[in-house]
Amino acid sequence: MVTYYKAHAVADALEVLGRTDVEAKALLGGTDLLVGLGDRLDSAPGVVVDLKGLADGEPLAVTESGVRIGLTVTMADLLADPTVSTWYPALAQAAGEVGSVAIRNRATLVGNICNASPACDTAPALLVHGAQVRIASAAGERVVPISEFFVGPRATTCARDELVTAVELPRPVPGTGSAFQRLTRRWGVDLATVSVAAAVHGDGRIQLGLGAVAPTPLLVDVPAGTDLTDRAALDPVLDEVLAVATPISDIRAGADYRAAMVRELAARTLRAALDSTRRTQA
Amino acid sequence: MGDALKAQEVGTLRPDGNVGTRTKRYGGLERASGAQKYAADLDFPEALQVAIVTIPVGCADILGVDTSEAEAMPGVVGVLTAADLPSPMPRFGVSHKDRPVMADGRVNFYGEPVAAVAALTQEQADAAARAVTVDYRELPGVYTLDAALAPDAHLVQDPSDPTKRAGDPLRETNVIEEQTIAWGDLTEQEAKAALVVEDSYSYPMMTQFPIEPLAVIAEPTDAGGLTVYTPVQHPYLMQRIVAGLIGKTLTQVHVIAPDPGGGFGGKQIPKYEPLMAFLALKLDRTVRLTLNLAETTTAIRRAGAKVHARTGFSAEGDILFHHVVIDYQIGAYADVAPRVMTKGSYVGGGPYRLPACRIEARAVLTNTPVSTAMRGYGAPQISWATESQITDGARRLGLDPARVRLRNLVDNGEEFVQGEFAGKADGEWKEAVVKAMELAGWDDPLPPNRGRGIAVGIKSSATSGLSQSLVRLLYDGSAIVYAGTSDMGQGARTIWAQTVADELGVPVGKVQVISGDTDLVPFDLQTSASRSTVFMGTAVLRACRDVRRQVREMYAERVGADPGDIDDEPGALLTPEGAVTLDEAARIGLGALRGEVLGQGTCRLEGRKGHPLGGDASFYEFNCTISEVELDRGTGQYVITRHVSVSDVGTELNPIQVVAQEEGGAIMGLGQADMEQLVFDEHGRLLNASAIDYRVPTYKDVPLELLTGSVENHDGPGPYGSKGMSEGPILCTGAALGAAVTAAAGVKVTDLPLTAERIWRATRAAAEGAIA
Ligand SMILES: Cc1cc2nc3c(=O)[nH]c(=O)nc-3n(C[C@H](O)[C@H](O)[C@H](O)COP(=O)(O)OP(=O)(O)OC[C@H]3O[C@@H](n4cnc5c(N)ncnc54)[C@H](O)[C@@H]3O)c2cc1C
Repeated sequence: MVTYYKAHAVADALEVLGRTDVEAKALLGGTDLLVGLGDRLDSAPGVVVDLKGLADGEPLAVTESGVRIGLTVTMADLLADPTVSTWYPALAQAAGEVGSVAIRNRATLVGNICNASPACDTAPALLVHGAQVRIASAAGERVVPISEFFVGPRATTCARDELVTAVELPRPVPGTGSAFQRLTRRWGVDLATVSVAAAVHGDGRIQLGLGAVAPTPLLVDVPAGTDLTDRAALDPVLDEVLAVATPISDIRAGADYRAAMVRELAARTLRAALDSTRRTQA
Repeated sequence: MGDALKAQEVGTLRPDGNVGTRTKRYGGLERASGAQKYAADLDFPEALQVAIVTIPVGCADILGVDTSEAEAMPGVVGVLTAADLPSPMPRFGVSHKDRPVMADGRVNFYGEPVAAVAALTQEQADAAARAVTVDYRELPGVYTLDAALAPDAHLVQDPSDPTKRAGDPLRETNVIEEQTIAWGDLTEQEAKAALVVEDSYSYPMMTQFPIEPLAVIAEPTDAGGLTVYTPVQHPYLMQRIVAGLIGKTLTQVHVIAPDPGGGFGGKQIPKYEPLMAFLALKLDRTVRLTLNLAETTTAIRRAGAKVHARTGFSAEGDILFHHVVIDYQIGAYADVAPRVMTKGSYVGGGPYRLPACRIEARAVLTNTPVSTAMRGYGAPQISWATESQITDGARRLGLDPARVRLRNLVDNGEEFVQGEFAGKADGEWKEAVVKAMELAGWDDPLPPNRGRGIAVGIKSSATSGLSQSLVRLLYDGSAIVYAGTSDMGQGARTIWAQTVADELGVPVGKVQVISGDTDLVPFDLQTSASRSTVFMGTAVLRACRDVRRQVREMYAERVGADPGDIDDEPGALLTPEGAVTLDEAARIGLGALRGEVLGQGTCRLEGRKGHPLGGDASFYEFNCTISEVELDRGTGQYVITRHVSVSDVGTELNPIQVVAQEEGGAIMGLGQADMEQLVFDEHGRLLNASAIDYRVPTYKDVPLELLTGSVENHDGPGPYGSKGMSEGPILCTGAALGAAVTAAAGVKVTDLPLTAERIWRATRAAAEGAIA
């Protein structure tokens, strides 16, 4: 049987999560956790620690250096925030694709990355936006770049007795553009078969974040100066940089289709990212 | 059907009546607000909760079942295994009585019950179910049609078992039934053909996906019988089967069938009810089984099919011959599923004038869950092939596929199935095609990457059946109608209320409809085959007329008139002195003792021996569908930009319900065409039972524009010239969508569902072929 525990502060939550006599799981929106528990709760972990009422939980905050996304911030919150959509179009587009209106009202960004599905929609965007993950434990706090956060399917560097408290995004270099696209089996409420975020940074770097084509979301660099408007020239470049992708065949798609689609979406999102830099400049 | 119902009897619409208007849904507010009580909402405080024990493979010999640990667990009241059941194992089924109450020494499909645990709470039952140890040896089960039809295939049903296949000439194979419909000379026609199209098609297994999962409550009665609560489309059949299995009379088995939250055929055969009956009797306790969505998806499905077709055309687009070989994958037990094959393949030639045709169909057993009826009943599987063939023929001849259909469609009264058991058109079907073409803007040019496709569908409705109804006209002018049709979302209750209101002249809000209870409501065969409007509708109509006849006689007697001088019409008696409203006449007739007038109506259609359908169809459903898509060439994804569905409905009894059925059927058909499929692994396990991986359309997946229409010639056998219409829009959706995709992509996909990946593969294969 599951015990529900409503934590009132980060330290309080960490204490319960640190107990060794019982298995404890953090709860935010519950859109992954509760689905995983199923509709019969007998096989569930011992304690579910609800983090939604933390007195010291952080909100969505815009700072000089960027944006700080606290653990209770939902996809709907991200979509409603004008700074997020101006500075981080890829993240806003990814947040807007998650589930449905009802899901986005509950699903948090932190929950999305902590669940660490290879198909997690916000991960590719967070990768190209250079996000940092703040992790708290009884011993204190550490900060991990998102590119090191995921270690395998449903596994992160955040240990059992730790908590992710926030995701921080650096303020983009002026002239940066980004975009996100995903492929699904149907238009409404689906998990990505393949997802790609692209950023064309103001300093010339070009990056791709890839979802559902490897055990973890991947970050790859596209050589600076690549002409993103010439598809014929771009495709061989993409073939090279996308070689790190190791898509599998499963019930959602065949590996070869995923491989072809990651290339297709990469070309499209790069183009869209480039167009969005032009929009910001105009 | 003509004999069953005389033309003058069907009545005409009252200009000021309810029938034919957009009367509000009976019980609609309750459904929308959540007040409607579905089976899972019923409260049984004393009931034990049940969990079913299964094994994680689709085919295995059971070597032992150890329940000792489970029985000792907290809250567990009892466990039922095959050893508790009579020997030989009791079996049930609607046309083949081959389905065991629980696995009989061998598990033949994934999910087949091996034991059932009853405990005080669901959690306790689930935990105990996991503690039941089943010792089994996996067998090389057959999970696909190819495997089942291979020469040395594992036989799903033991050929020596006298309860099943003894004496059956096909018993050494997995074919449980076969049927050939043929006329004309294929060779002779082929010699004349300018083009022969030959291709193979596949249609996947799918689930009905009712939003309300299955639920059963079995409650022992003081009289030694049972009350069974189950949201099904066949309460009377359920009653007969359960009573037969437990050796009780019909009066001892009371079936209460709350309005199903969607059925689509999936709630039309008994599944867990027999097991629950034995469990309730063993424990002498009320027992309750509530399945979740994934368990329901595992338990009910439509037959998949593989088809090979050859079709010949003249250069002008006449279809000269059509030869189809189709195998339906029906599952581990036959039950009623072979009928899906016989009914589906009977109309396999389509509604066309064919000089020669041959449909060879087989129903094939596999170690997969038992298939059953689903909206369209075997017709969508074969129409996917037949209609794709016609589209392909037109395309290759450079002809307009809509006009090729108009050219070959039969006229009203003309045979589209020839021979001893001919099938004749019973409507102006070309009108539906013309109307659909108009709505779709068929001849308007399309922007690049768009494609349009057309198909027509046909299905025979019920070929026999019986529906009985009672109507009570109460003293205050209100009325109660008893009709055993299950209202599972199609709005049956509304139609009965409208009919009674018009026939008796009662305001529609004063008509109460009672159904879903075998103790209260007289017999109805079942809610299936779009039969209820015609069959039960006629029974209700007759019950109303019986009320009117009785009122006329009572009134005449009371006022001392000659009944012969009094006539009646809907809602009134016509006396020499003038019209008297029916409720007023009833009050006069009933007199000081008051009371009520009780009318009875029956509609019966006998089958015909030897007929492949068991009888002549009471009517045909005809539909024309046009789909339009916009294709993304890079990914194979497409948006359905416009979808048109037009059916021949005879008469719209309630236009808003007709549109709802047409739209619902079209959306369901599109889901089945573009995303739905059940996928089993090499151990026969269902891989995508969950709502995450069994995809059905969401609101974002419906066509951008969904247009529906109907043809109304008041030529149906039902009340006011109506026909059943709830399956029409799903009959040919796959072929219409497939044709649209082909038009946009330039490639033909022969397997459903039409996923983006399949289209991408076909496009790539075509491009590679062009280069090579
Ligand atoms: C119908 C439906 C549609 C969906 N569609 C999408 C989609 O399109 N794209 C997509 O990416 N996802 C989708 N999801 C998955 C899910 O909604 C998202 O992953 C969501 O962001 C999870 O957030 P949550 O707040 O609900 O997390 P929860 O379910 O509360 O938690 C998720 C996981 O993170 C752990 N966790 C929570 N908080 C912390 C913390 N502070 N520190 C460490 N671990 C923590 C939990 O223990 C749990 O394992 C969908 C889910 C559903 C049910």
